[in-house]
Amino acid sequence: MNSVGEGCTELKREYDQCFNRWFAEKFLKGESAGDPCGQLFKRYQLCVQKAIKEKDIPIEGLEFMGPSKGKTENSS
Amino acid sequence: HPWETVTTAAMRKYPNPMNPSVVGVDVLDRHVDSSGKLHSHRLLSTEWGIPSIVKSIIGTCRTKTYVQEHSVVDPVKKTMELKSSNISFTNLVSVDERLVYKPHPHEPDKTVLTQEAIISVKGVSLSSYLEGLMANTISSNANKGREALEWVINRLNAEIEEFTASARGTMRNSMAAAAFAEK
Repeated sequence: MNSVGEGCTELKREYDQCFNRWFAEKFLKGESAGDPCGQLFKRYQLCVQKAIKEKDIPIEGLEFMGPSKGKTENSS
Repeated sequence: HPWETVTTAAMRKYPNPMNPSVVGVDVLDRHVDSSGKLHSHRLLSTEWGIPSIVKSIIGTCRTKTYVQEHSVVDPVKKTMELKSSNISFTNLVSVDERLVYKPHPHEPDKTVLTQEAIISVKGVSLSSYLEGLMANTISSNANKGREALEWVINRLNAEIEEFTASARGTMRNSMAAAAFAEK
């Protein structure tokens, strides 16, 4: 499966493999502590966010989404 | 299939032959909240098979439509909820879908899916016709969605079998090598 940003597909694949393993083997079994995919995710994210800006995809509050927040916020 | 299997498959739903128009999936955000639930925000890119001659005129960037999806997985309560809405053509139509996967209350090896969609079409004259058309498409797609997950689950099982077979092969080889070395 490709990424919206053509150059991000490889980073996405690496992250997906890590996430799918963690999800099935740890998270669903109740061991959600620890996130082995953090670094991969950050690299993949940076690539995707750039691609989204370049393609002008209208996602609300994208720049405010971060690992600790689930809601969008307005900045002044 | 048990809830864990269905949830794992739903996370890896694309690509699958029942949804050939989904060409891209990206994770925009993902985190575990304070109550242990996993939130994921994803962007789905879809391509509707526009003839290539049209694409060559208007450019491929404009032929993709986008859907954003928010999913929440609660591993303790065993629920997975997915909410998605279109972010392309919002000036014309709004399609909001909600899917919830839960273990079957009486049969632990089965999962129950509840699915609903709210469609609103802006503009007056075609609205009831288009809404009816979309409602039919969405309900037949609901069946397709189940078939899609079956396909993903079969593929995941095949992957596991392949992995086990090759691990067995490797173990046999190393045991044979160890036995040989002992002599």
